[in-house]
Amino acid sequence: MNKTKLFIFFILLCALLAMRASAQEVDSLLNSLSVDQQFNKVAATFKSTHIVLSNSTETQKKRDLDLRIRHHFGDIGGEFGNAHTLYGLDVATDLFIGLDYGVTDNLTVGIGRSKHDELFNLLVKQKLLQQQTVGMPINLTLFAQLGLVAREPFAANEFASYNDRLSYLIQPILSRKFSSSLSLQVMPALLIRSKTLGSADPENLLSLGFAGRMKLNRRLSFIAEYTLVNELSRSELAGDLYNPLGVGLEIETGGHIFSLNFMNSEYINENSFIPSTKKSWKDGGVRFGFTISRNFSLFKSKNKNQDTKSTIY
Amino acid sequence: MNLLKNTKLLFVALLSLSPLLQAKAQTFAGKQIKFNIFSSTPIEDIKAVSYTGVAVLVAQKQELSMQLMIKSFEFDKKLMQEHFNENYMESDKYPLAKFKGIIEPKIDWTKDGEYNVTAKGTLLVHGVSQGRTINGKITIKNKIVSLDATFNVACAAHQIKIPSLMFTKIAETIQVKVQGNLNPLN
Repeated sequence: MNKTKLFIFFILLCALLAMRASAQEVDSLLNSLSVDQQFNKVAATFKSTHIVLSNSTETQKKRDLDLRIRHHFGDIGGEFGNAHTLYGLDVATDLFIGLDYGVTDNLTVGIGRSKHDELFNLLVKQKLLQQQTVGMPINLTLFAQLGLVAREPFAANEFASYNDRLSYLIQPILSRKFSSSLSLQVMPALLIRSKTLGSADPENLLSLGFAGRMKLNRRLSFIAEYTLVNELSRSELAGDLYNPLGVGLEIETGGHIFSLNFMNSEYINENSFIPSTKKSWKDGGVRFGFTISRNFSLFKSKNKNQDTKSTIY
Repeated sequence: MNLLKNTKLLFVALLSLSPLLQAKAQTFAGKQIKFNIFSSTPIEDIKAVSYTGVAVLVAQKQELSMQLMIKSFEFDKKLMQEHFNENYMESDKYPLAKFKGIIEPKIDWTKDGEYNVTAKGTLLVHGVSQGRTINGKITIKNKIVSLDATFNVACAAHQIKIPSLMFTKIAETIQVKVQGNLNPLN
């Protein structure tokens, strides 16, 4: 008898609760219908394919071409700086022009040329893992670069064989967007060269880079990076060579990215700045540098979908 | 005696449930609601689309609710899509757009027909709610409710900032078109 009563009261209670819940019911129904799993990719961990000096995990979008012009000036202070060179602005320790093209959203190929060593570089970047809001916690991009020193030899025997002009960089890049304003990156690298500074300088040079971005507002970011190289596989040379450290401001204006940087590396390309940064942040060895990046969408898209077909007049 | 009392109570209990069951029978839901957005300036027309909006209609209350993931908008240019999410909609912070409103005039949802209606309620975009009255058309055929509405969203009203540099390329008012079918839930 009591059981029946209890059952009835239970039903009444349910009815009451259901009436109260009906407003929330619509919301939970909406949420249950929604298919968010499909759209949980974390995009734009970095705004650019580069941070200060190194590459980021970002790749070019499909059919987009990035024209990148970079400049490193001379020492701000010290023996080579000060007012006599207008704090380094009279000097260009390195210049770089490069083109990066997105074959797919995940595969970028590129070519570039630097003033230093007349270095030509060919690069391939493949995004392997993409961070997701649920599931995959990181981005992983594999970066490989071939460097070719095109300048005349300084000494008769400098490039005994053509292979001596070549260097190879292999760099897996890992990053994570911790919040919409903070992204961090780690990039171990192996640089294989035939020309070194002597027996203390191994042909296979290991390095470990750290980089980060802090968004100051939607278009302006503070960027910084440090590459640990000398202490890893050539500690004897740590007195003459320095680890590259760069900081900068990155400004994005829809298609253009400008960055204004300060760093101790004279050189722009990985194959040059990882092994041969000879300046220090102490003693005025820091310099100003900038990057201008302009994105072009190549080949008019064959998009036939009227819903997304955009037109530029 | 007791048995009779209990039966009565049970009857009351079931009766109190009945409007609830009825309300459930008169709920419509759709999960492939199409949202088009369109920005037009003399320099550039930009279109984007999402096919995965969801909608729930509580017929008895004439209450329509719609919800959309901002990240589900597809653009022709992926970099433009990234800028839309990162620079304008801030979709990490504000992942959803929502509308909840009451449809007028009163409609007999069991009958086939075409109705010009208004929906009065709130539109939530970029974390900012705005009171809106939206005109649209509702078509009922074979118990399926079709929605069709076009309305404008002013970027400034939802605190979506467009830098003056981009005024020539991005319109200050974006046209939104909603289309989709809602099926009765059982």
